[in-house]
Amino acid sequence: MSKNIDKLAKIVFDAQINATAISQLSETESFTLEEAYRVQAKSIDMRLAAGEHRVGMKMGFTSRAKMVQMGVDDMIWGRLTNLMLVEDGGEIDISNYVHPRVEPEIAYLLKAPLSGPLSTVEAWNAVEAIAPAMEIIDSRYENFKFTVEDVVADNSSSSGFIIGPWCKPDSDIANLGMVMEFEGRAVQIGSSAAILGHPARSLAAASRMTAEDGETLEAGWIVLAGGATAAEALYEGVSVRNTVEGLGSCSFGVAK
Amino acid sequence: MSDDTIQKAADLLHKAYRTGKACEPVRDLLPEGDVDAAYAVQEINTERRLANGARMVGRKIGLTSKLVQKQLGVDRPDFGILFADMSMPDGEEVETSSLLAPRVEAEITYVLEKDINFEKPTNSEVIDAIAYATPSIEIVDSRIKDWNIKIQDTVADNASAVLYVLGNQKIKIENFDGRMCGMVMECQGEPVSVGAGAACLGHPINAVRWLAEEMVNRGRPLSAGDVVMSGALGPMVGVEAGQVYEVRINGLGSVRTAFAV
Repeated sequence: MSKNIDKLAKIVFDAQINATAISQLSETESFTLEEAYRVQAKSIDMRLAAGEHRVGMKMGFTSRAKMVQMGVDDMIWGRLTNLMLVEDGGEIDISNYVHPRVEPEIAYLLKAPLSGPLSTVEAWNAVEAIAPAMEIIDSRYENFKFTVEDVVADNSSSSGFIIGPWCKPDSDIANLGMVMEFEGRAVQIGSSAAILGHPARSLAAASRMTAEDGETLEAGWIVLAGGATAAEALYEGVSVRNTVEGLGSCSFGVAK
Repeated sequence: MSDDTIQKAADLLHKAYRTGKACEPVRDLLPEGDVDAAYAVQEINTERRLANGARMVGRKIGLTSKLVQKQLGVDRPDFGILFADMSMPDGEEVETSSLLAPRVEAEITYVLEKDINFEKPTNSEVIDAIAYATPSIEIVDSRIKDWNIKIQDTVADNASAVLYVLGNQKIKIENFDGRMCGMVMECQGEPVSVGAGAACLGHPINAVRWLAEEMVNRGRPLSAGDVVMSGALGPMVGVEAGQVYEVRINGLGSVRTAFAV
């Protein structure tokens, strides 16, 4: 299988770097979820070898509705690199993406490493700061169609993220209102409670799931807690802002 | 439009309300697209309930989400009358069998301490008239068979109002963020509806201001003591018998309703 892992990793690596759509890997290859995570790890290794470096991880499928829709009973995760960071207030070029979408999120900055199963209180104790955030997801698969194994192999669709001002984690984040606007008009309205009922549970899950893959969440890393609403398709010229109750907002634009 | 058809629509809806058996849509009895005719139907049944001894305690605002307005092909909210006998205490069990196809939604309710009996009230005048806010759950139900409603049906049917549950908190409106406050409705520990204040016309006070002006124009101005349910902060959820629904609104606390098996 290791040859196939290398081959599949090269396919998603090329698709990510060149922003090209590919057909579902699962159409021609049969691989397990565990093998999908190995494809993801390998493809990110290729990116690191090309000069990128790790800055954190992202959680996906963090709502029960999404898990049911995808026919899975756990979340998924992906790896964040420095090249995926879009400056708050910055601009992206849509030609660097296949068919990007954006979703409102909350980000954690870790002050201590996290590894293995732990309680939400233990996870919370490792949080240095929290911030309003957005994730740009961009499945490299044609028509955004994939199995759970496909999407995990493709770095769980992660392709970009925006982080707003870091805030001290001294407030209750269980039920923060979130409003994502396109060109000043609300397109998605939700609450941080949509993330597993409480976004701190997502951080605990992040520690458990990465440990299953032999990884530790490092101090200084960013963890994206998961989408709080459905994702919205991006288009040329759109300006995007996510405001989170009590935390402030972050924004970016898509170049014309 | 003839008074006869207005009366006929009102009679159909009143019979459905009294017998607990849903009726056919009433829109075909009314001039197409004439929302005022639908309010005339509503008014007949409001007068009928008042004549039967019901006590009016406030209003509910509906269709406050852009998405729901789009679904019904309208560009404004609607309202219905809240009577005292529609109020359920926080957490008390609702007799599910007395309802047709109930749904629940989470709202901020404002209670007034001043009358708003003048034309074109502004947001600041509305804010000045509010005593406090409280979290709330509206239980909506349609007397129209299978929720087969268009705008005229729901307006004629008292904006599909049936029961409501108010929290027991009295929260000053300067103590929470009406636009950004998060809302989650949970059933069995799972979020079944989430949203924020902005989902209600951008800010729930915008909805109250709309209502205040509308009520002046329609001759039933809001007055001190009135309860105003300002509109849903997230998608409505179909009720399942036996379930408990808890709504939490950030800064306002929580409120719950239970449905008997």
